[in-house]
Amino acid sequence: MEARQPKEVEDARIAIFVKGTKTGEVLNGVMKDMMALKRPDAISFSKKNVIHPLDAQNTASGSSSMSSLEFWSSKNDASMFVIGQTSKKRPNDLTFVRMFDGKVLDIVEAGVENYVSMESVPGSKSTPGHKPLMHFASELFDTHPRFIQLKSMLMSLFNGEVVESIYLKGLEHVISVSLAPTPATLNTTTESTTPLPKVHIRTYTTRLLASGSRIPRVELTPMGPSMDLVLRRHTNPDPELLKQAMRRPKLKKTDVEKGLGKKRKNLDVDEMGDLRGRVHVGKQDLSRLQTRKMKGLKAGAFEDGGDDGAGGSGSDDGEVSQKKRKLS
Amino acid sequence: MDVSNILADHAEKIKSTEVETDTPLDVDAGFLTVTDPNPIDGESYESSLETHLLSLARTGTQALLNALFSLPTTSSPDGPLAQLPAPTTQLPRTKPLPKIKPLTKWEQFAKAKGIQGKSKEKREKKVWDEERQEWINRWGKDAKNKQVEEQWITEVPMNADIDFDPRKAARDERKARVTKNQKQHEANAARAQKTGSSASSNPEREAHKKDLERTLAMSRTSTASMGKFDRKLEGEKKMKGIKRKFDPTEGSVSAESKAALDLLSKMNSDARKTRMTEAQRPSKKSRTSHGGNEVEDPEGKVLNVRKAVRFASKGRGGAALGREREKAGKLGKSGKGKRR
Repeated sequence: MEARQPKEVEDARIAIFVKGTKTGEVLNGVMKDMMALKRPDAISFSKKNVIHPLDAQNTASGSSSMSSLEFWSSKNDASMFVIGQTSKKRPNDLTFVRMFDGKVLDIVEAGVENYVSMESVPGSKSTPGHKPLMHFASELFDTHPRFIQLKSMLMSLFNGEVVESIYLKGLEHVISVSLAPTPATLNTTTESTTPLPKVHIRTYTTRLLASGSRIPRVELTPMGPSMDLVLRRHTNPDPELLKQAMRRPKLKKTDVEKGLGKKRKNLDVDEMGDLRGRVHVGKQDLSRLQTRKMKGLKAGAFEDGGDDGAGGSGSDDGEVSQKKRKLS
Repeated sequence: MDVSNILADHAEKIKSTEVETDTPLDVDAGFLTVTDPNPIDGESYESSLETHLLSLARTGTQALLNALFSLPTTSSPDGPLAQLPAPTTQLPRTKPLPKIKPLTKWEQFAKAKGIQGKSKEKREKKVWDEERQEWINRWGKDAKNKQVEEQWITEVPMNADIDFDPRKAARDERKARVTKNQKQHEANAARAQKTGSSASSNPEREAHKKDLERTLAMSRTSTASMGKFDRKLEGEKKMKGIKRKFDPTEGSVSAESKAALDLLSKMNSDARKTRMTEAQRPSKKSRTSHGGNEVEDPEGKVLNVRKAVRFASKGRGGAALGREREKAGKLGKSGKGKRR
């Protein structure tokens, strides 16, 4: 139970892959390959389940699927669901559900097309448990709310773990998510009738080649699975729930000590990004400053030559003794 | 010597790691993610999809790896580890932030005094036994804290009672420690519960506290200087006064006109009636009776005795009024006499 308590820095989301009432060959393959990518944080529900999370909440099937999602989430400590279901109306339907605190946060539904399985692509595969690199290509991932949500959802699924350090040679594969060219009529703010561009998901293994510098040159080979997604229905997160979910922990004490969030004295960064320090030196004693020696300026030069020499040596003695005192 | 040819050859052999795009790619090294904000090129997309996607992915991955390989590294037994920065993308959390555990009484004390004890994680269940040369339980079966009571022979002090049982003494001591710890644990839990929930868990206690605070405030202002020149105690809080509230200078016109009209209607009305209405108000009545100067007439009118006395004596006070009346009585008597 203690392992399931809320943590400041969270582990990767555990995903449950659920089969609906009817899954075709395509969806079975998609779920299997996605699980292979998500392992070891993946749980498979191999039996059929009556689940329709995007149906209206007030209908019997809608409300019961919400409650079963919540139940499964609490039982398995899972916070992500991938539901596969095919029907005449929505063929090869893949639904991503994200949870927060045991409640459904948001749902994205997409149809799968042009699926190529991992097995059918020859070549080496990534080791299970290795973190994937992720690549998103299109300006819509920064502008369009549907694609921002999709990006966030896929990152939560595959890459949502905060890690401090990583072994660079262990980065074996890339999940690339790219879009078809943006239609000119696509409006980013309102729900328009223009069909959303297709999403192309491809996976590649990386090969690091020498480039003559520390940074290697990367070449990619298709690994599989690859599929195209057509976005269908979705739900937006409840704003109150999202606000809670987006809360960040306060700065850690070590960060504060390092100077993050705390102002360090006499140190600042200048325009060029260089760290500049200020050093305070004691007040200079100008009375002992050696100026140009001139006969006429010597003390007692007019009175007596011998006296002057003795006085000079006397003062020297005084200085020496002072130094000694400082040393001791 | 011209090295440009050699350099060109070398460059041809080893392909560059540079990435050229119209807008720089958005790299989030913390989540190992790169986002390409450039619009998709329609022509290459149409001509051959897979090569287009591959080249896009390669450019993105190269940019990401460039960022990752320039991160500072630390060495580990498996090889160099790149230190990842904090992610810039904000993803929703799985669970809410952990609640802050309230400090125990000892932790509070240690914090106030700056005591840095051993951290709790370091206290392990097993302890090393020098005699037996093995790890044994700190508590539980065959534990270190039961060694005295379980050993087969125990030394008894010379001055001990005749019925002194060293095993029982050791056991009692251990049991006492356990009960004490349990009690402290319960007290800490209760305190945590209290701070966790609202402060008004015990309304009686709250009322008593309020009453005490009121009494304290009254006593503090009961010196000759109204508490101004009293010696301050250490940690004494500054007394909170009652803040005067003023209506805002700019308000709604309707409210202002209503207030003015109310005042006007009050001024126009019969003064006695006004007083009557005021007297009938329960809140006013209680407030005025609190002052002590007002006396309720049997007829139901409120009489301000002090004001009445001042009016009757023309501002000279009740004593003067009494003297005058006495004088008038004497004068009357003498007058009678004169008449006679």
